[in-house]
Amino acid sequence: MKTQIAAGLALCLMASAVQADVTIGNPMAQTGPIPDLVAPMVQAVDLAVDHVNSQGGMFAGGERLNIARADTGCDPVAGVDAVTKLINVSMVTGIVGPVCSGATIAQAESVSIPAGVVTLSVSASSPMITNMETGTDLVFRTAASDAYQGVALAELALAKGIKDIAVSYANDDYNAAIAGVFAEAYAKMGGTITANQAHEPNKASYRSEVATLGSGSDNLALFAYYGSSGITIMRNALETDAFSTFIGADGMLAQEVIDQIGAENLDKATFTTSTSDQTASGFNAWKTLADAAGIPAAGPFVPNSYDAAFLMALAIEKAGSADRSLIAGALRAVANAPGETILPGEFAKAKGILAAGGDIHYSGAAGPQDFDANGDVAGYFSANVVKNGVWEGKIIK
Amino acid sequence: MWQTFGFEFVNFYFIPGLVVGCIYALGAIGITLTFGILRFANFAHGEVMMIGAYFTWTVMTLVKNGLGFPIHPLVAAVPAIALAISLFIFVDRYFYKPFRSAPTIRVVMASFGMMLVIRSFVQSVWGPNQLTFVPGIARPNETVKSFTNSFDMMILMPNKHFWIIAGTFVIMLALSWLLTKTKIGKGMRAVSDSPELAKVSGIDVEIIIRATWIVGGFCAVAAGVFLVMDLQMLETTMGFRMLLPMFAAAILGGIGRPFGAVVGGLVIGLAEELSVYPWLGNGPLLSPGYKTGVAFAIMIVMLVLRPSGLFKGRLF
Amino acid sequence: MDILIGYSLYGISLLTVGGIYAILALGLNIQWGYAGLFNAGIAGFAAVGAYTFALLSTAPNPYHYGGLGLPLPFAILSAMVLSGCIAFLIGLVCIRLRSDYLAIATIGIAEIIKLFLKNENDLTNGPRGINKIPRPWEHLSEERFYTSAPMSWISDSAGWDSFFDQLPNWWWQPFFCGTILVLVYIIYRLLETAQRSPWGRMMTAIRENEGAAHAAGKHVTRRRIEAFVIGAMVMGLAGAMLSQHLKLIDPTNTFDPSKMTFLVWVMLVAGGSGNNKGAIFGAFLVWVIWSASEIFINSGLHLFGELVSNMDISLLKTRAGYLRMVVIGLLLQYILQKYPDGIIPESRPTSKGN
Repeated sequence: MKTQIAAGLALCLMASAVQADVTIGNPMAQTGPIPDLVAPMVQAVDLAVDHVNSQGGMFAGGERLNIARADTGCDPVAGVDAVTKLINVSMVTGIVGPVCSGATIAQAESVSIPAGVVTLSVSASSPMITNMETGTDLVFRTAASDAYQGVALAELALAKGIKDIAVSYANDDYNAAIAGVFAEAYAKMGGTITANQAHEPNKASYRSEVATLGSGSDNLALFAYYGSSGITIMRNALETDAFSTFIGADGMLAQEVIDQIGAENLDKATFTTSTSDQTASGFNAWKTLADAAGIPAAGPFVPNSYDAAFLMALAIEKAGSADRSLIAGALRAVANAPGETILPGEFAKAKGILAAGGDIHYSGAAGPQDFDANGDVAGYFSANVVKNGVWEGKIIK
Repeated sequence: MWQTFGFEFVNFYFIPGLVVGCIYALGAIGITLTFGILRFANFAHGEVMMIGAYFTWTVMTLVKNGLGFPIHPLVAAVPAIALAISLFIFVDRYFYKPFRSAPTIRVVMASFGMMLVIRSFVQSVWGPNQLTFVPGIARPNETVKSFTNSFDMMILMPNKHFWIIAGTFVIMLALSWLLTKTKIGKGMRAVSDSPELAKVSGIDVEIIIRATWIVGGFCAVAAGVFLVMDLQMLETTMGFRMLLPMFAAAILGGIGRPFGAVVGGLVIGLAEELSVYPWLGNGPLLSPGYKTGVAFAIMIVMLVLRPSGLFKGRLF
Repeated sequence: MDILIGYSLYGISLLTVGGIYAILALGLNIQWGYAGLFNAGIAGFAAVGAYTFALLSTAPNPYHYGGLGLPLPFAILSAMVLSGCIAFLIGLVCIRLRSDYLAIATIGIAEIIKLFLKNENDLTNGPRGINKIPRPWEHLSEERFYTSAPMSWISDSAGWDSFFDQLPNWWWQPFFCGTILVLVYIIYRLLETAQRSPWGRMMTAIRENEGAAHAAGKHVTRRRIEAFVIGAMVMGLAGAMLSQHLKLIDPTNTFDPSKMTFLVWVMLVAGGSGNNKGAIFGAFLVWVIWSASEIFINSGLHLFGELVSNMDISLLKTRAGYLRMVVIGLLLQYILQKYPDGIIPESRPTSKGN
């Protein structure tokens, strides 16, 4: 019995070493506080890898692109451990993920930057990431910094004629950061913040918070994950008539919000997200693919996840080998102009152009995805309102 | 109260506090009984609450898809309660019973392990995504609103809150009958007061333990169903997030005192909601970011000043 | 070759984190194993240590108060002292509580500490946390360290630059790991000495029979507070080392009670409470299971997928993370039942000559 177990474990270990043709690491917060948000993001990453493998695979030899996944649980301890395993045991070429800003910064500073491996985060939006590196160029992200989205949202609010607003944010890294940027920008542009309070996520009731906030304004800027507190707050606010108008960001943009609260109650709710809309060809291409695969196309950070995995594959293809040190340069080359436009799912086309020595320019599901000097992407946001029972986005910036 | 505090206080702070308090209270009953009779803090209790709600949801969905008509969550909860109780007894038999005579810490560790197992099991089977219990928003009951309005005391309460408060009340009555009038209930109280004495007087402790799981499981699933009736959705971490306030409620009421746990639950629920009432000036008394801390602060003060709780629970 | 280096680096990382958990478990062993104090607020003391270290040692920055850039040893000592001071205050109030009650009180206190760290944005940067925490050895290659004394006495910045460029990028990992293992050893030696001293025997006496110890004229309360404070100082040290390893700490996720408190308890109970060797062994064992199980489960699933290629196991793969937690939980139950006194049970210290 014991020898059988040992043999089984050894076999597993060997499998983890030899399975690699080309492997990218994908640390995602599958457990932890937001498993519901992460599940479709994981599907989007897998979809991108499927597209690569069904369209000729990697390099001239058509090698398989593998995903080595690890669970970060949104937690720096688990995140550092997960990425250590990916880099040292799974021998990944690059990292796509992690999800939460805290885990992203921790794994980057602690593991991946020292090891010289590129991190391409799918959803870390903390402004702290922008200036994180000194002297290296290894951290990228396909989600825009909150520093942009908060400002865009403030402009949107004023453009909608909202002159005063109460702010409520879940006290976690993502929501606290974007709420801070929003409140500052909104006040600077001449709006009045009637109240600005954190709330503790995962409580059963927010009626008292909502009542206290609601005494000053009818408008609520809500920064929360829909699952841990967002839906509950909106429901409590609507039930007590404390607020009528809601604005907010990515964390609230999910079909669940409509399904649970009801489209008829959401006529004055607008949430922004860093994605493009029906007018962008990248988004349309993505939407067709996502609908076919049954993935929520406009879910929070779902298109960004697809873009990150697809871009990583393009970069490795461009680099021509699984050598880690070539990825950062190749990533910039495939994501930024000049080059022929590549839309989501067009891996075979990109492969052909690269093989012929041409340049490509990926135009992603969540916007153009051109990296600036810090590895950030520009803010490219849509404002989403409910139309016919689904979220419908319109580009605002 | 109406004249002193007015419409807002009652409808937006007091009644919500009462509703949350009822849920805490039902959960705390199971915790305090386990604590009193089996002498350990059962960390898996919140997860049984959660899995009970998931069973209820499954029953509701199956009936709706199979038979074509929706059933009330409280009806669907009946088979769910049976399932949850069997789970409790199964877990006790294979994971807690081996530690009956061992130091408490081992069974606490075992219950911690079960917490991980049950939650991850639910995540593997039902998936981590949220499930909708009842869509839409619950407006206040119009009859009550206009009726109370005629007395100048408009009360805004959706139907779900009536169910929760009334349901808690009924369960309380039944529990009080069970504990004071039936043989098994008296046995439970005896074991809780002094297990040695109970054993000597010929009470079969294993039967009492099984009864404890049945009562605790019943209340836990009721709490879980009430919680999802209020939230109108289910997710896999909802049990754990209720666990610590429920511990606080059990301590506050006194360990081994089910009625104390109910009072404790109501006090904690009300204190949490009232802590953000603008008692002084316009802002909330306490930043809502600290709301979770209210339960713990009450609990610690209680432990220091009067560790036996409000109702003279047992001390170990 | 790369694979060999990779596996060794992962091994080093297992030893590093295992060592940090071993320090936590040793701290808990003083409180629980020696004195019978059921502290369930380990995360709180580790957080105090980690934040103290981070605020004192990071470079000045706009995000949070502090960034005092103080020398690392001083910051580590401060972390221990502050953690001890807080434990002293808690001890004054709570030490007379009996086992489970003390546990629940300390859970509450740890949560309140976390809420404080989360809500006092100006001091701690709130939920966003503190990053760029210097890590011993690796910090030598940071500019602010090699341009200042004493490193600047040896060479100028260009010299240091080229020196660090020649080293492989993981050069500091064995050193950092070694530092932690040395700390584990030092604490272990100190605790073993303490356990055999009159103080340690008195602690055992108090734990086993408080009334008798009291009747024999021992200051029971004072001894218990001492054990509580010393244990908390060791936990503060572990928190400081953890913050160096992670380089970013945040109040919500880093100091999550299930990973920072209960996991440590599992380590101590599985290893053998009351026995320092058991505490250390349990910490390494449980951490290796916790971390390495992911590799085995993922590649096991991969193998399984190859074997049954006609079956769709994509759902199984997306839920592998949850299945892993089920397996870990059941493994824990197995260890608890198979080794009721821990894998290395407590052995009574005997004086020489017996």
